[in-house]
Amino acid sequence: MTSLALAWTFARRELRAGFSGFLIFLACLALGVAAIAAVGWISASVVGGLNANARDLLGGDVSLRLNNRDFNTQQMDWLMANTVRQSSAVEMRAMAAPVAKTNGNRKRSLVELKGVDSAYPLYGDMVLDPPLVLADALTRQDNGTWGTVVDKNLLLRLGLDVGDRVRVGVATLTITATIVREPDRVATVLSLGPRLMVSARALGDTGLVQPGSQINFQTRAVIAKNTDMGVWQERLNAAFPNVGWRLLMPDQAAPGVRRFIQRLALFLGFVGLTALLVGGIGVSNAISSYLDGRTAAIATFKCLGAPATLVFQIYLLQVLVIGAVGIVLGLIAGAALPTVVLSLLADYLPVAPEQGFYIKPLLVAAIFGLLTALTFALWPLGRAGKIPAATLFRDKIAPSGLRPGKSVIVASALGVVLLAILTVATSSEKYFALWFVGGALLTLALLRLGAVALVAGAARMRRPKGASLRLAISNIYRPGGNASSIIVSLGLGLSVLIAVALIEGNLNYQIKERLPEKAPAFFFIDIQPDQVAEFDQTVTAFAETSGYKRMPSLRGRIVKIGGVRVEDAAIAQHAKWAVHGDRALTTSATMTDGSILVAGKWWPKDYSGPPLISLDRNLANGFGIGLGDTLTVNVLGRQITGTIASLRDINWRSLRFDFAIIFAPGPLEGAPYTHIAAIEAPAAIEDDLEEAVASRFTNITTIRVREALQAASLILTGIGQAVRGTSLITILAGALVLAGTIAAGQRRRIYTSVVFKVLGATRAALLKAFVLEFGILGLATGIVAAAIGTLTSWAVMVYMMQTDWIFLPGVVAWTVTICLMVTISAGFLGTWRALSEKASHHLRNE
Amino acid sequence: MPDHSQAAIHLEAVELTLTSNAGQVNILRGINLLVEPGESVGLVGPSGSGKTSMLMIIAGLERPTAGHVGIAGQAIEAMGEDDLALFRRSHVGIVFQDFHLLPTMTALENAAMPLEFAGRDDAFERARAELDAVGLSHRLDHYPGQLSGGEQQRVALARAIIAEPSILLADEPTGNLDAETGRKVMDLLFDLKERCQTTLLLITHELELAHRCSRLVNMLDGRVIEDNQQRRSA
Repeated sequence: MTSLALAWTFARRELRAGFSGFLIFLACLALGVAAIAAVGWISASVVGGLNANARDLLGGDVSLRLNNRDFNTQQMDWLMANTVRQSSAVEMRAMAAPVAKTNGNRKRSLVELKGVDSAYPLYGDMVLDPPLVLADALTRQDNGTWGTVVDKNLLLRLGLDVGDRVRVGVATLTITATIVREPDRVATVLSLGPRLMVSARALGDTGLVQPGSQINFQTRAVIAKNTDMGVWQERLNAAFPNVGWRLLMPDQAAPGVRRFIQRLALFLGFVGLTALLVGGIGVSNAISSYLDGRTAAIATFKCLGAPATLVFQIYLLQVLVIGAVGIVLGLIAGAALPTVVLSLLADYLPVAPEQGFYIKPLLVAAIFGLLTALTFALWPLGRAGKIPAATLFRDKIAPSGLRPGKSVIVASALGVVLLAILTVATSSEKYFALWFVGGALLTLALLRLGAVALVAGAARMRRPKGASLRLAISNIYRPGGNASSIIVSLGLGLSVLIAVALIEGNLNYQIKERLPEKAPAFFFIDIQPDQVAEFDQTVTAFAETSGYKRMPSLRGRIVKIGGVRVEDAAIAQHAKWAVHGDRALTTSATMTDGSILVAGKWWPKDYSGPPLISLDRNLANGFGIGLGDTLTVNVLGRQITGTIASLRDINWRSLRFDFAIIFAPGPLEGAPYTHIAAIEAPAAIEDDLEEAVASRFTNITTIRVREALQAASLILTGIGQAVRGTSLITILAGALVLAGTIAAGQRRRIYTSVVFKVLGATRAALLKAFVLEFGILGLATGIVAAAIGTLTSWAVMVYMMQTDWIFLPGVVAWTVTICLMVTISAGFLGTWRALSEKASHHLRNE
Repeated sequence: MPDHSQAAIHLEAVELTLTSNAGQVNILRGINLLVEPGESVGLVGPSGSGKTSMLMIIAGLERPTAGHVGIAGQAIEAMGEDDLALFRRSHVGIVFQDFHLLPTMTALENAAMPLEFAGRDDAFERARAELDAVGLSHRLDHYPGQLSGGEQQRVALARAIIAEPSILLADEPTGNLDAETGRKVMDLLFDLKERCQTTLLLITHELELAHRCSRLVNMLDGRVIEDNQQRRSA
């Protein structure tokens, strides 16, 4: 019989006793695996939903989008010749105001205006209430106005009903229906206003489509079946190499939502991984505790001639069997949970999730579970296999402190490396995954350091007077104490919870407290150059306003960085936002107010040489370029390459508007542009100011900053609650490990209580001692976790989000208190059972 | 009615009945025993005769089903668990065959425990002195697992005697020791008994050891079948 077969025979015999000693092992592993599997499954089904509805969401087999300019005849001719059907749509922001039923309805609303042609939609169905055909709903009505269909939300905001009229630009529209379903609209994370849809002809009548206005022109098309999309795209690019449009294929539908879902899944996945790591500690403790109980059996095996390797194999096989059971339980829970979660989240999801069986997240979770179980089990297994029988007999009394063999240490280290590699390899964003791995290792090291410091401190402490406190403190440093496993396991989960709570608290503080303090009351967009003088006069006529600022603005897309195409350039994570779509640009002869020049020189007022650029320093760092390098921007189809003449520090958080890219006057002259403006105003005059602008300038869009911030805050709170809720899993895992630790020490605690009682200790004194012991451990865990969580939140806010950070003592105190309550309650429950044990049973001679 | 309020141990019609799966088991059946202060009593009898159960009742670790238990002049049968603990702290020291030292505490910490519970500031000073008295001054910081059986029992002796109890109970203290070590431990036990003028109740299977006591009590089936009080003068 081979060694492994023999080991399996013995392992089977040992397993006859059942899994009762492994419940915590099973629970820890199952919880972590379930969390990872469930997050992966949910993410896969939401992305699956995006993919299944990709053509509907995209509005065609292909979508082309141009900013601020319409498709020209040549482009449209090419598309008509090379596609089966086409549909054009125009999207922009505008102001809608009721044509008042009664005098005094001054309500206005920012809307997302969309003008569509008769071919819309190419895919999917437009569903209206009442159930009209879209063309009928948008056609000219009996009263001579164009029909419009709107989000129900707009009716609520403006106090209108279907059949009422609304003014957009210079046109009056009749609301014919509300939109139940718009096939190509994804519930975006941040939408500034409800939808208002009109026909393309009605849009023309609004007078809002003006040169320089911020408008998206879209053309969607159906491509003949069996067309090779790659070849089609190459032909399009060859025909129009430098148009600067945004081309999307079905697999890229709703890119913002896709990115949001994937990133949320990434962070929730990290939380699941943390829970699994905590569970790993539980696995290690459970195996140590189990092997403690098997000491006599192991010693007997060895005495009867079993080599260390065989002993190691016998228990490794048991771990694998029990691990497999835990993983399967986790996978079952992980596959079942999404059904519940997705039905609860149905109203908040951008698309209906795709039902299906997702094997990949299950496989990933299973591999994580197996690797974790093995990595954390190897150490105690190796220790049991290595120690000679005689030492094993005495190990419980005088811990030997022996290490496992070299091969086991190497295998454990390899397990850690493999876990790290798997984390990075299965992550959609390697950059964040690397941060997570580094952070997790550092956190574990810091928690372990905290535990070592506490034990050393307790050992060196002068004996306090009270017997209970003295016992509590000495229990912390005694051999076989559980300070380390409690601090590390509970501390890891708590660190995550504190970090998440602090990040959420900081973001909320920024949005609710800080930003409103210094943010302007209004942003105005699409101010035409010929309206500037009158507009300035209108808004500054209000005496209570201040901080008025206005600048020209046009949009362009960065296409080359230092001569390298954006697609091929190495761009740091924090700068990637600047190459996703179009950016606002401006041109200025003089340096803008509040700018801080940190490198180079501002151009002379009368500069007229080759194009020069003043760039945001952070962006320059992220792009890996500096003074003298070039940046190429596509503005309305024209590529302009400018040399970087200066770098500026911009404080985006101030909400003062600024521009990452400022061109010296010259190259952008002649391009159609509009102005944007911001002004500070007390809440009391906001309505009057809005009314004054809206009544005089029908094309200018007003954005109320306070409302936008409130909407952002609401979204943030929702996301925060989801992440915080998920991070509670790590606390649950920590509590499981704590329960396991207490259960493992129960026999010893009962025995100690009995001996103490024999020697004259009252139950109150014993209870006090144990509660104090767990209280000290809980407090120490809380303090270490608070420090780590605080440090993590600071690093995330300052380095990853590049924003201010403040310490929120309330959040930390609250979480530390919970930790203290958990440990004390657990200690109390464990001790209470020990105290009620009858002494005489334990004292009779064996 | 004679006054037994000054007796070290006074058991009167003590019964102990335990319930097991097989039904009720009568462990002690009407035990009467009177031990005066300073006496040393050797308690012998075959396994299952009720010796340890009687010792547990005297120590307040087991509650009698019926009868009166007076220890050091106090009736303890009706005392609550905490009162019994406080009572043991001041009056009773116990030595077990299995030592019952706490494995995670050093010899010094094990010995000091009773005085620590009593809130005595000199607990460790006294423990050091008692361990020195049993010849273990060089083993103060050792854990039980690092001590031999004889050394462990000497720590248990130091622990039992540290609070100067009026009654010392010993349940086969040499049962786990070899003959030579056992003899040394017993010498120590009797020395301590003499030094502290304490009452000793010693359970043993070895008649030779029992005969070192001033009185011999023989038990069988939960009853005292022989009480050799003539040896009292010994």
